[in-house]
Amino acid sequence: MILEIKNITKNFGGISALTDVSFSINKGEIFGLIGPNGAGKTTMFNMITNMFAPTSGEIIFDGEQITGIKPYQITDKGICRTFQNIRLFPQMNVLENIMVGGHSRTHSGVLKSVLRTKSQRNEETKLRGIARDLMELVGLSNYDEVIAENLSYGQQRRLEIARAMASNPKLLLLDEPAAGMNETETESLFDLIKKVQARGVTVLIIEHDMPLVMKLCDRITVLNFGKKLAEGTPEEIQNNQTVIEAYLGSEEDDDIA
Amino acid sequence: MLGELLNPYQLQIICFILINIILGLSIYVTLSSGQLSLGSAGFMGIGAYTSALLTINFDVPIFIGVIAGALAAGILGLIVGIPSLRLQGVYLAIATLGFGEVIRVFFVNWESVTKGAIGISGIPNIGRELFATFRDAGFDPDMIGLKNNQFVYLLVLIILLIINILLIWFFIRQNKSRVGRAFAAIKMDEKAAEAMGINITYYKVLSFTQGAVLAGFAGGLFAHVMSYISPADFAYNRAIDILIFAIFGGSEVIWGAVFGAVFMTILPEALRFISEYRYMIYGIILIILMAYRPQGIIDINVLNWFKKFKKQKGGAVHDSGDQKHN
Repeated sequence: MILEIKNITKNFGGISALTDVSFSINKGEIFGLIGPNGAGKTTMFNMITNMFAPTSGEIIFDGEQITGIKPYQITDKGICRTFQNIRLFPQMNVLENIMVGGHSRTHSGVLKSVLRTKSQRNEETKLRGIARDLMELVGLSNYDEVIAENLSYGQQRRLEIARAMASNPKLLLLDEPAAGMNETETESLFDLIKKVQARGVTVLIIEHDMPLVMKLCDRITVLNFGKKLAEGTPEEIQNNQTVIEAYLGSEEDDDIA
Repeated sequence: MLGELLNPYQLQIICFILINIILGLSIYVTLSSGQLSLGSAGFMGIGAYTSALLTINFDVPIFIGVIAGALAAGILGLIVGIPSLRLQGVYLAIATLGFGEVIRVFFVNWESVTKGAIGISGIPNIGRELFATFRDAGFDPDMIGLKNNQFVYLLVLIILLIINILLIWFFIRQNKSRVGRAFAAIKMDEKAAEAMGINITYYKVLSFTQGAVLAGFAGGLFAHVMSYISPADFAYNRAIDILIFAIFGGSEVIWGAVFGAVFMTILPEALRFISEYRYMIYGIILIILMAYRPQGIIDINVLNWFKKFKKQKGGAVHDSGDQKHN
């Protein structure tokens, strides 16, 4: 078990975004978090990365309680994320973007950087090597000097994954990586996420593209109006009556309408 | 021959340019992590007064005084920087501008030490002190055909030039490192930077403090070049002047702030012949710039163009060399 979400509740003022949600993710699996818009999926991501704290409940990562630590420390612990609306460093080139992702695995401060000590140079060379390897992984080889904002939409999404991977995460959080992608791009995204998994990284993914989710995920949790609706394998979820109702509306709803 | 070339007035202008470059660097460093600070004039004042008072009252050597001034400004920068972290953009600018005014008013009112609005005169001059050392060693500027005051200014100029080169070298290296990438990441997207494991608080305070140290350092040098300082030297219009270095030259790359400092120091001097109209020209240039080049004169594209140009020229030289060889 790499991540345990225990009875998480989050209230914003009087509005309850998540109510008593629990699930746990096994090491090495691809875990899907799905649900209609406003179900609380991104709120869950923001709490795992400690962008804000839950009202109550616990998040345990790798046997350690992580609620209440700083967001940048989460990256040190081995969790890194991508964003629903792409948040690259737009004026940096591809290589620099990925190297920023490696910030937490490097340590040179001002003095070492200015004096270019041997350890600093080794660190930079190593990081550049890691970045090149990740560029190959996401299909951006030889894009070193290209400014991030000049990349195509699909490339930007993949660069965000490479940047997150540069922190050497144990758990990668992907927030709607296929949003706005065409079929070919989605297919190459599927391959990419499988490759990430093959590298021993656990993946937690929020996604609306159901065919992709069903093909990709080992297990899925469904959220609806901040509550957990169901959990299981893609087959179980597809045949779950309450899930179908949440997505398509029940017959009773039709009657009311 | 050298004596005819070196005009003391021009030498002095170059010294001002070199001090202004340090001030330009100070605002550039703070801006490189996305923080707009207008406290540079205040920090400059702290550096100037600290160094002036130490050298006058305690006979401290000038270079120790200047470093003490920079450190004092740095410590104050740290104290101001930490609470200011919560402020973004224009709010930080207003708060730091207010800080600068507090410092100035403090200098005006603490008369027993700072002599109030009259200011401090008779501050040891870097050039003269060095000149004295040279003379004691048996060196006479006449030997290289220079008058005494030419030699003094020349010494100051050389020292400032060395300091400038070292500082620019320092910040170019810092920019190309993990620290510089963290600054740039915070400037472009703070939330994303934090998600990448960057300790926002640390790097923001670091860049703010570096800016304060630089401004304090420039202030110390200013005091020992001018030999006279008063609170009016560190008023808010100084802060605006410094801001304009970065806005005019460009704040994306280090050379922008350097260029801005050089140009904006020369411009009023070059326009001296039209006397009071010169500030009108100054204003018009700024308005045109904001309309057509809001990022400042020097940005990354200009630098790339220069690099390409240099490469091409280098290649051409290489070719002609080959031809000669044939």
